[in-house]
Amino acid sequence: MTPEAPHIDWAGLSPIVALTAGGIVVLAAGLFRGAWLRRYGVPLLTLLTLGATAGLSIWQWGEDKAIVSRALAVDDLAMFLNLLFCAGAIAAVVLALRDSSPEESGHGEWHALLISSVLGMTVLASAQNLVVVFLGFELLSIPLYVMCATNLRRSKSLESGLKYLIVGSVGSATLLYGLAMIYGATGATGFEQIATALSSQAGLIDDPLTLTGIGLIVVGFCFKVSAAPFHQWTPDVYEGAPTPVTAFMAVATKAAAFGAFVRLFDVALIDAATNWSPLLAAVAVASIVVGNVGALTQTSLKRLLAWSSIAQAGYMLAAVVVADREGVEALAFYLAVYLVMNLAAFAVIVARERETPFGDDIRSLAGLGASRPALAWPMTLAMLSLAGIPATAGFIGKFTLIGATVDGGYTWLGVAIVVGSMLSLYYYLRVVAAMWLSDVPVPAAREPVPAIAGGSPELDAAADPEDGAGQDAGPDRPVSQAEATAVAVLFGAATLFFGILPSPLFDLARDAGSALGLL
Amino acid sequence: MFVGLGTVVGAAFALINSYLGPRRPGRMKADPYECGLPSEVKEDFRFGISFYLVAMLFILFDIEVIFLYPVAVQLKAFGTFALIETIVFISLLAVAFVYVWRRGALEWR
Repeated sequence: MTPEAPHIDWAGLSPIVALTAGGIVVLAAGLFRGAWLRRYGVPLLTLLTLGATAGLSIWQWGEDKAIVSRALAVDDLAMFLNLLFCAGAIAAVVLALRDSSPEESGHGEWHALLISSVLGMTVLASAQNLVVVFLGFELLSIPLYVMCATNLRRSKSLESGLKYLIVGSVGSATLLYGLAMIYGATGATGFEQIATALSSQAGLIDDPLTLTGIGLIVVGFCFKVSAAPFHQWTPDVYEGAPTPVTAFMAVATKAAAFGAFVRLFDVALIDAATNWSPLLAAVAVASIVVGNVGALTQTSLKRLLAWSSIAQAGYMLAAVVVADREGVEALAFYLAVYLVMNLAAFAVIVARERETPFGDDIRSLAGLGASRPALAWPMTLAMLSLAGIPATAGFIGKFTLIGATVDGGYTWLGVAIVVGSMLSLYYYLRVVAAMWLSDVPVPAAREPVPAIAGGSPELDAAADPEDGAGQDAGPDRPVSQAEATAVAVLFGAATLFFGILPSPLFDLARDAGSALGLL
Repeated sequence: MFVGLGTVVGAAFALINSYLGPRRPGRMKADPYECGLPSEVKEDFRFGISFYLVAMLFILFDIEVIFLYPVAVQLKAFGTFALIETIVFISLLAVAFVYVWRRGALEWR
């Protein structure tokens, strides 16, 4: 018996190859001495890599095939999620252009880690095999642990990285244990074979080994998507990590984890749905309650968004519970919407962190409506969208989610989403009120103003009282935050656009939703 | 039967030793065992971080050789494919090596 060289589908593999090659090139480019190359060349190469990956994913749209011994699926769901990862990473690179974290940890390393994290996400989003699921998770998480700690001289950043490392490792270990149990029970690692085994062998669904495996996998996944009983790490890690990293982590990790979640549970374990759906439904409701209640009293914007992301994870879990095509469609749509509105909010936080001495405190937004409308509007739209106000993308997203839960026979989950959204209005509107209602920034507890222009809102207002459209916020100002403003405006506009005209995104989500072959 | 016997004998050896054996604890005995010589290591001794770095790099580049063995065994069967794959693999490691080198991880500090 002579072994044969395996057939390699380069076209299907191309996004992964592009990311790998790009990561290596970026890492190597970071080694050169030229300051210009490190400071601008490396981010440019990173953007090129991510753009190429997005392009290749669009090229592979509609292919619907399985590659690498059926371990990776190249279907519309995977490609849709690839686009989300690339969008999130591109936004992170742009927001980090002026950030101190790549400066301190090395530009080549920072960007190479970002690319390898995206690589892990693409692997995870197309995983069709238990081993690949774990591989993808590790490839995604390990660079993120490091990236959280890239503000090397800020102890909060290091603390955040360490916490994420420890909690994430516990989650990974639990997940791995669960995956091993499922393999033990079904004798297969491929999703299709697992589904066949569960549907053909009598009693396997209620086998203690299967049940333990499912339970452990649910716990592991909940750690990764920060769902309720396993959410405690989220606010601390989000707060401590450099804000561009937080933005990337919040939107892309969630999309990747939910991609794997929906593939594993709605394809491989679908026959055991009677056993896991009550569990997941309970986790979803718990996340909605805990996330929304936890966010009520937050004054740090990053912590607020962290708690809100826990609640949003609960909303999206409801779509996994439904386990039909409508549910997957709603999930894909909501993931895209979630990305858009969160990136808008994080871009504003990044800009204000550098302009005010308040960091990510809610005070940094005071009077923003009057002084920087170009930042205030995206933030307002993002907050309204997160709360699910009509004419924003978040409303359409929640609408489809609730529709999917009701049609799938989980009306009470839909009710939970509605109640959670009502609760969330309180803290989202508080942010909006801080921007538009209070004209003067709170003078109390002022730290010394940094010796840069744009150091405080008052100085800004004094320097440029007629600061209308802030996109081109004046070349005369040294810290103009043009790129952060551009990201905020772009994603804020997208929030509004998909709220009024959701059909383009709907079509994409429909293709993605039908990829799994569910009813 | 065998398991039971094993458990009993194992437990017996462990317990009887601790009950019947002579006990003369001393400063020397409480020290960590280092090949029978008196320990030179003090409490506040810390390993240089370079040791860990070198150890990790050693593992990385050592594993490389292990991956090359199966290819070497089946090189004829795979032909050009194996050659190209190996070249890709080695060049990836070469990039890693250049990175480590340029970052100064091989300098002893």
